[in-house]
Amino acid sequence: MPSAPPRWKAYAYSLPTLLLPGLSHWFLGRRRRAVAFFCIVAATFWVGLLLHGALFPFHAPNWLYRLGAVAEVGLGAPYALGRIIGLGRLDMRDAADLMFGYGNTFLVSAGLMNMLLMMDAFDIAVGRKE
Amino acid sequence: MLNDHFLSLVVFSLLVALFFAVLNHRDSRGFWKSVGKTMAWMVVGSLLFAYFMLWTAR
Repeated sequence: MPSAPPRWKAYAYSLPTLLLPGLSHWFLGRRRRAVAFFCIVAATFWVGLLLHGALFPFHAPNWLYRLGAVAEVGLGAPYALGRIIGLGRLDMRDAADLMFGYGNTFLVSAGLMNMLLMMDAFDIAVGRKE
Repeated sequence: MLNDHFLSLVVFSLLVALFFAVLNHRDSRGFWKSVGKTMAWMVVGSLLFAYFMLWTAR
């Protein structure tokens, strides 16, 4: 029976997804799935921005927005880059926009999907999943 | 175009359904079955919940 790879290796394999959604699966040899994951998470992120969703900062004015920031930070580099260049800037006037809530749902979901991708990559790397 | 609430719901359901189908299924039959099932649950469930909220608000 083949021995399980070292734990640190599995952690290392789960991290590239923070740079680009699906990158961990690409390195693990699941290339078709990696491309599919990238397209799905990127589309979710893009539609969220299109609907005027916000990339919440951690110092947002209410706890629900701060909770949203915890989920969105799961996107990794796209979140950081978006915050730096001012994409999805939180403007309280947008809160009255009809689609603001929908946009946030897409962005928060994209962050949570990316977190699941990291866990999935970890499971594949330790041999728990095919 | 995406300012339509129902269309947003359908697009969101489709993306989530595709994500979980890619995550959990290898075979094409199981994949599409999972997409259909998840989408149906999300769209129909949301509409029922919306009608429930409308009904309780009266």
